[in-house]
Amino acid sequence: MASKSGTISTYSPLFSRKNPNFTNGVRSDGRHFHECRLAFLRTGAVNAASGSAYAEFGNTKVIVSVFGPRESKKAMMYSDTGRLNCSVSFTTFSTPIRGQGSEHKEFSSMLHKALEGAIMLETFPKTTVDVFALVLESGGSELPVIISCASLALADAGIAMFDLVTSVSVSCFKDDLVIDPVFEEESCQDGSLMIVCMPLRNEVTQLTVTGEWSTPKVHEAMDLCLGACSKLGDIMRLCLKEAASTLQ
Amino acid sequence: MGLSLGEKNYIKGGIADDLRCDGRRRLDYRSIAIDTGVIPQANGSARVRMGSTDVIASVKAELGKPSSYRHDCGKVSIFVDCSPTAAPMFEGRGGDELSTELSVALERCLLGGKSGSGAGIDLSSLKIVEGKMCWDLYIDGLVISSDGNLLDALGIAIKAALSNTGIPKVEAMPGTSAEEEPEIDISDDEFTRLDSSKVPIIVTLTKVGRHYVVDATIEEESQMSSAVSMSVNRQGDVCGLTKRGGAGLDPSIIIDMVSVAKHLSQQLIATVDSEIYAAEARESSA
Amino acid sequence: MRDVNFAMTQTQKVRLKRALQCLRDCSVASSPVIVADTIPVNLEDNILKGHGTAELEGEVVATLCGAVERVNKLVLVRPFRARYKPEIGDIVVGRVIEVAPKRWRLDINFIQDAILMLSSMNLPDGIQRRRTAVDELNMRSIFEENDVICAEVRGSQNDGSLHLQARSQKYGKLEKGQLLSVSPYLVKRRKQHFHYLEQYGVDLILGCNGYIWVGAHSDGGGKNEDFEDLSAKLEDKMEVEVSPLAPHKEEASSVPLGTRENVCRLANAIRILSLLGFNISMELILDTVVASVTWNTTVRDMLGGEFYTRIAEREAERRSSKRATQV
Repeated sequence: MASKSGTISTYSPLFSRKNPNFTNGVRSDGRHFHECRLAFLRTGAVNAASGSAYAEFGNTKVIVSVFGPRESKKAMMYSDTGRLNCSVSFTTFSTPIRGQGSEHKEFSSMLHKALEGAIMLETFPKTTVDVFALVLESGGSELPVIISCASLALADAGIAMFDLVTSVSVSCFKDDLVIDPVFEEESCQDGSLMIVCMPLRNEVTQLTVTGEWSTPKVHEAMDLCLGACSKLGDIMRLCLKEAASTLQ
Repeated sequence: MGLSLGEKNYIKGGIADDLRCDGRRRLDYRSIAIDTGVIPQANGSARVRMGSTDVIASVKAELGKPSSYRHDCGKVSIFVDCSPTAAPMFEGRGGDELSTELSVALERCLLGGKSGSGAGIDLSSLKIVEGKMCWDLYIDGLVISSDGNLLDALGIAIKAALSNTGIPKVEAMPGTSAEEEPEIDISDDEFTRLDSSKVPIIVTLTKVGRHYVVDATIEEESQMSSAVSMSVNRQGDVCGLTKRGGAGLDPSIIIDMVSVAKHLSQQLIATVDSEIYAAEARESSA
Repeated sequence: MRDVNFAMTQTQKVRLKRALQCLRDCSVASSPVIVADTIPVNLEDNILKGHGTAELEGEVVATLCGAVERVNKLVLVRPFRARYKPEIGDIVVGRVIEVAPKRWRLDINFIQDAILMLSSMNLPDGIQRRRTAVDELNMRSIFEENDVICAEVRGSQNDGSLHLQARSQKYGKLEKGQLLSVSPYLVKRRKQHFHYLEQYGVDLILGCNGYIWVGAHSDGGGKNEDFEDLSAKLEDKMEVEVSPLAPHKEEASSVPLGTRENVCRLANAIRILSLLGFNISMELILDTVVASVTWNTTVRDMLGGEFYTRIAEREAERRSSKRATQV
């Protein structure tokens, strides 16, 4: 293990910055390049909320609770549509280095943009829906997990939506495309592409690309992601069906 | 939360009659469910559920420098975060007041006096190189869902997390002079378990009318005139005490509450220890 | 079934899983739909698309997770966990949030707060007259903030706000008890929502909005107006009278211990049934309470793993035997 000399800084022995070595097309956690992590999804994690969901994708654990629709507390002009309020926060112990999660302040607005296309805001005029996401552990591709988990929580709360929202991201390393990257892979990726889509409606609501991509590579990545999104959508529907089947 | 006068009288009457709204007696705790190892990235973690109250505690060990007046000890700090998933009013700065109050109360109960006596954790076991390097333990509490009695739940969660904590073994390279920074080798596989047998348990007694109840729900807490939170360790010594609430208390009542809390704590410690043991057995078999 | 927060042993978890599986197999209602599932309709009829549905490429899809209901040509989706959807004539239990000029605003678990106008309320002296300025100033003597009130839904106004009325003797302030909150989906609309359980001395009000009031029986002054026919009266339920005419007492008379225990038992039974996701009906509540007494469960153990598992098993048995006799 690394031995440290020189000035002391807080150092967490569990965190290591290794280059991911892809031996024979197998990643550090045993997956193939185009294989997503196993998803564990559950609704009803928080009793006090109108709807809630807990998602565990490998080492990324997120809990989302939805409150509402309820009266808008801020004095507002009459509006025909409802208001959506999103907030994402990281716990202090979610990242290997304590307190690093506050670097992701933009996640709240990205979650808002991802969800507002899918929610039928006109079904709850003059009221607000609050979506609070809490990342308990961040092990790579947090935002896609947050978005999928939030859409599950909204369905659990009975908010009318056009379709469930699923999201997957892909990292590129020179010529290889690696789907659903973990933390180590994300930190040394050459580029990333994240898609947010509504699988049954076949509509993409958000697409963000960073890094240098050739056009065929973009097409390949999009196909890969859309395939993964629809599989994730099926898993989410199964989870909701199971939760609903005991309610009679 | 608001309660009507009729409901308030009903709750007070129930407490006076020793039959609370959910059927418990005044000194009964709700069923406690403990899971350990919920945050694999942390050195130790635990999740405690009592009724609808749901809290998580995690312990992280990082390298740091000992403070100037205690060369041979490590440092411990406790932070509590009330997340907006528990209640919308905790969004932004809304939960800050409650978080600070809980953090301060926990530090007072668990960390002991300035000289280190009465501390739940043996700080000298966190020393690596005297005067130069030590372990800093950061204990983070997270409130996921609140239904009263957060302090007790966090106390139990911290105790469970500490008993689940493994500090990596460190070897300091010998032969460094007093001026240089020491070289150390941190092991990846070998961990020493933290000794948590001395960690105390917090018991909160809430005074409603003329009686005290333990493990108050959020409705009962809204009726309290005052509350006393006491931490007691396995030996029966009082390790910290906080009085909350504005109403004044007769000193004899405080003494009575202290003895009641001491009595309850022994049972609670036994229950919590067996639950922690069962939780760790589940974790290692999973 | 929501997340259960009490400690359960391994055997209890196994038994519970088996009971829940049996319940799933016995479920007779139509299979639930999830958001964006296609709802099978005969495309030739002119189907009216109700709440929770939308059209996509000529097909009807659901926008909510719930159960599909068809009434003649109307297809709608009733959501499992949504906010309460008020209908005219529903009995609701609500809490006063604000005392505004000439009205009270109540929280009834709806997306908005409901309004109870001063003119929709009986005056303390019982006379029907125009409300004067003095009446407005005395509103707080009738209902204050945080009071729990039982009322009936009158209808929605043009601006979308919901109005309630509490003109009859049986509506009004509720005291000496506790308010429970369950999912509105679990409380079905029946003929009777007020129940007076004579053998326990307890009033039970099942609000259609998911707020349930369990309290010691209180006699109101004044006549009791009953709307239900005799057949309902034959089962031992009676109208409850909660009169707003009763003066506001500072020192409320305390509830006797026996009644208090019964209130606790009923409340815990309702909590357990809502955790299990069963419909909250009077028969099931009474059945659960009787079972708890037969099995010698203490009131506090009703909120424990053992009782929870046994109730799930009991219901599973009941449904599977019912199914067996039907088939």
